Amino acid sequence: MALVAMEQVVFGYDDVPSLEDVNLEIGSGEFVAVTGPNGASKTTLLRLMMGLLAPWKGRIRLASRGAGGGKLAIGYVPQQIAAFNSGFPSSILEFVRSGRYTKGSWLRRMNARDHEQTELALKQVGMWHLRHRKIGELSGGQKQRICIARALAMEPDLLVLDEPTTGMDRESRFGFYELMKTQTEQYGRTVVMVTHGLDEVSPYLDRIIELERKEDGKWRCCTTTSCRGHFSPAHS
Amino acid sequence: MEMLHYDFMQRAFLAGALIALVASALGVYLMLRRQALMADMLSHVSLAGIAAGAYLHWNPTLTGFAIAIVGAVAVEYVRRSYKTYSEISVAIIMVGGLSSAVIIMNLDQSVNKSFSSYLFGSVVAVNRTELILMLAVSVLAALFFILMRRPLYQMTFDEDTAKTSGLPVHWLSLAFSVVTGMIVAAAMPIVGVLLVSSLVVLPAALAIRLASSFAAAIMLSMAFGLGGVWSGLAASYTFSTPPGATIALILLAILLVGIGLKKAMLQAAKRRSRLGIASAPDTPFEATRFTSAVRAAEKGESRG
Repeated sequence: MALVAMEQVVFGYDDVPSLEDVNLEIGSGEFVAVTGPNGASKTTLLRLMMGLLAPWKGRIRLASRGAGGGKLAIGYVPQQIAAFNSGFPSSILEFVRSGRYTKGSWLRRMNARDHEQTELALKQVGMWHLRHRKIGELSGGQKQRICIARALAMEPDLLVLDEPTTGMDRESRFGFYELMKTQTEQYGRTVVMVTHGLDEVSPYLDRIIELERKEDGKWRCCTTTSCRGHFSPAHS
Repeated sequence: MEMLHYDFMQRAFLAGALIALVASALGVYLMLRRQALMADMLSHVSLAGIAAGAYLHWNPTLTGFAIAIVGAVAVEYVRRSYKTYSEISVAIIMVGGLSSAVIIMNLDQSVNKSFSSYLFGSVVAVNRTELILMLAVSVLAALFFILMRRPLYQMTFDEDTAKTSGLPVHWLSLAFSVVTGMIVAAAMPIVGVLLVSSLVVLPAALAIRLASSFAAAIMLSMAFGLGGVWSGLAASYTFSTPPGATIALILLAILLVGIGLKKAMLQAAKRRSRLGIASAPDTPFEATRFTSAVRAAEKGESRG
């Protein structure tokens, strides 16, 4: 079943269209990369998917329920969010725990599951030992990790990540790709990620959504390529 | 403590405490949402309401209060049109409010003459209506900040991620703006239109630098705000200085001393780190170890 479907979607800024003829489906449990040159509207595509932008034309369907039957949970890590909010006065633990705030009532007490998921998410990104530090004391790559941890702590059905490996070293990037693969394989989560590093990540992907210029040079559209069978894992 | 024998000083300390606590908590959210000038803007806008109230012979406190709320809602809508440059919305609404106030004041010169108490504050002359208004605003604002602390935290960090996680950001942001307008209008008798942002911004500016967590930032800001207002009132009584300006200067002094102490502590920490106390390194993503172990096991099986 498709978690996200876009049909004949057109969108632009002011009077200038930046995306046209977007047709795609992303199924539950897929690991998908969105790629394309700078200015190809990759972030715009993600924002349309999640309902943060309304299309000029066409239809966008986002499942209202997750695989478990509950309300669809979206874990979103925007581009450079960590750098933008570097002075935010919050401990890492407090910040990652905020991913649990949308589970149930705003006023409920944090329960054992909330603490477990927060701990698990921080351990998965290798930041548990720094949990009492302030966000502002972290490096760019570390901030990126805790933003990912917050999204994971939500136990999301859909993980949307906009250039999440910015600021990470090579070893961390591969660790991250493997973590995302485990999210899809173990928990059936859907991962959609904007990236420029296709060479590295393609062994882990199910599909690539590529944004291309059309022949008249004005419009861009989506093409999807299956990765299965085309690549072999880098570490195998 | 002789000053506390006077009714007007008791009222001043009570009113000051109420507003100091909610205004300084509000300041943390405003600063982190890049809306630090909103308090300043709303106080200028409410001046138009005060002028209109005085001109129409209505209660200027209540008309100023109403216009501050209208201004807060208006700035929320203008802010959405200038999302990237949200300070533009502050400038647009402030120009509208201030120019309207000047024109209304010019219509009746007697209105113009009674304005200094609104411009510079007169906490020792707080009347019963103002005190009731402050009490109601403080209770409402405290309830809002306590009940909405989790959604507010999420929205303050990033509106987009708050929206995608299912929060009604539109309504929450609007409610936040209304609460901001109410607090600013209620704070005006304490420090006046020109200095109201000192009560909102200065305690929060220091708390954000010192706090190790968000909850600590709110608590510290409230403590600095309360300390500043009470010591300002005491200093104003002792040295016969204007209370609003004295409070603002003491809050500024607290900020400067706090920043100085923080810098001294950072220098000491740097010296300690030179002596060999290094920062903790990252550990790898856990899936690396997990997947590597699975793959190693798979390889072992296939060889076997």
